[in-house]
Amino acid sequence: MTTAPARTAVLTTSDVAVHFGGIKAVDGVDLGIAPGEILGILGPNGSGKSTLLAAVTRLVPLTRGRLSLDGTDYTGSPAYRLARRGIARTFQTVRLLPDLTVLENVQLGADLHLPRASRLRELLRRGAVPEVAEAVERTGIGDALDRRPGELSYGTARRVEIARALAAGPRVLLLDEPTAGMNQPERREVAGLLRRLRDEGLAQLLVEHDVQMMVDTCDRLLAMNQGVRIAEGAPTDVVEDAGVQSAYLGRPSGPQQGGFAPVEPQQSHLAATREREAGRAADR
Amino acid sequence: MNAWFVSHQVLVQSTLISLLLALSIQVPLRAGVFSFAGIGSYAIGAYAAAIVTIRLQVAPVFAIGAGVVIAAVAGYLLALLVARLSGLYLGMATIAFALFLGVVAVNGGELTGGATGLYGAISTLTTGHVVAITVVVVLLLVVNERGAFGRRIDAVREDPQLAVSLGVDVGRVRRRVFVVSGALGACAGGMNSLLRTTVSPETIGFQLVVTALTMIIVGGALSWAGAAIGAVIFTWLPSVLQVVGDWQPVVYGVLVALAAIYMPTGLLGVAQSAWRRARRRPLPADDRERPDGDDPERALAALQEVRP
Repeated sequence: MTTAPARTAVLTTSDVAVHFGGIKAVDGVDLGIAPGEILGILGPNGSGKSTLLAAVTRLVPLTRGRLSLDGTDYTGSPAYRLARRGIARTFQTVRLLPDLTVLENVQLGADLHLPRASRLRELLRRGAVPEVAEAVERTGIGDALDRRPGELSYGTARRVEIARALAAGPRVLLLDEPTAGMNQPERREVAGLLRRLRDEGLAQLLVEHDVQMMVDTCDRLLAMNQGVRIAEGAPTDVVEDAGVQSAYLGRPSGPQQGGFAPVEPQQSHLAATREREAGRAADR
Repeated sequence: MNAWFVSHQVLVQSTLISLLLALSIQVPLRAGVFSFAGIGSYAIGAYAAAIVTIRLQVAPVFAIGAGVVIAAVAGYLLALLVARLSGLYLGMATIAFALFLGVVAVNGGELTGGATGLYGAISTLTTGHVVAITVVVVLLLVVNERGAFGRRIDAVREDPQLAVSLGVDVGRVRRRVFVVSGALGACAGGMNSLLRTTVSPETIGFQLVVTALTMIIVGGALSWAGAAIGAVIFTWLPSVLQVVGDWQPVVYGVLVALAAIYMPTGLLGVAQSAWRRARRRPLPADDRERPDGDDPERALAALQEVRP
């Protein structure tokens, strides 16, 4: 089993909690992401994954806990400052501006780095900054640049979202279910892109429901249930963890909180993953 | 042409002043802020210009400028006050601001001339000045509607949370919008007082809210051009509608209702989508389904580089 090398984390949270009234959406989560690492967050619906992402990006106020980037605390920093400091994110749903073209939507990501003078120059000469061109190229949306979001297939729209986040030139990328609604080839393509970005040193936090993709893509997994961490470590270990199995797959293991119906397809998914991992281990 | 201009000079002036007034509502709306503070600012500008001109006999630029500065500051303070309001509540609060200023005007004693208002604000402001000011204002707004400026304002309107995560200080954009709206409204009010040499509580009343909103709804709220279309239509329509006599308000009402129901983006929106449809290239048959319909070479060719 491989574990993540002890690199210095670029983004860390300590004891982060977000309570909505009596509901403890996130209740004391510690995590750290290093440059060139993909940390996956696994958990059933309502386990607090998206709230954790919102907390990290300062979109919801923290009940307690600290957030830090490069060792600098940003717990009290307003959300709009984070983009400039290198944190970019995508959202669970497609959030593109309907009246702008795909190119303009991607440009929105890079706009914050554009000095005023260049914004004026952009008006005189149509064009975009190199970061935008690169993000477009990497996500493969070059053919859709002059379309509006309403005309795109769901998979393409999601890739435009990733392109917009990349155009900001982030050091930390937070992805909330980036492949939801995509077909298998599209998923593989996105997973490949995330791995390439990792190899270039980007720190990523990935929330996904596709267990197989998580195991294949992430360096480490953190499993959550009811706002707390229930397991963390190498992907295969976490997926095998009894607590994770019962929480995520609804498999009864003792008198734990039930409520999740067994999900057959995902179980077989898990079995396939296990087989693949076994094969991989044998190769090594 | 010249004879036409002379006989229609008042209408031309009214059109431009209405345009600035409509813009003072359109600018906030574009950023998703439902504020009528521009109407209150019109009142501030109208009275400030008249008072300064009558008492100090300064050049119109200072008289109007005084109102613009006061209204911009008032706009900023108002923005802080209503920072937590949005939608209808914000609309109500800012209409209250306008009505409140109407009450102040009636009860302002000697300073505002009470219910009769102020007379004799005679200045050297000409139609040429009004045209020049309007052109400058529109040019500045055009810059703000395009490119990175415009995109970021679009994001604030459509999805404030997304805008924040893209690094836009949404609160600051909203405060700025109040300041700009205040300055635009005051500029319109000041010019109107000086051209008519008079101002009274009736000229700054609720009627202005209706006029400005009508222009924007029919013209289109998302661009200065929509406000311009609305200003032209509703300034010139009364002279066309003289044939229907007393039925004018009915015709107005029907027009606005039809526009609101059938053209939610206004005449401008209808024209834009027609333009877009006309020049859109046909979709390649399999493009929508092909997940890797990408061609980096073409993408790069499409993006001319503009280095920051």
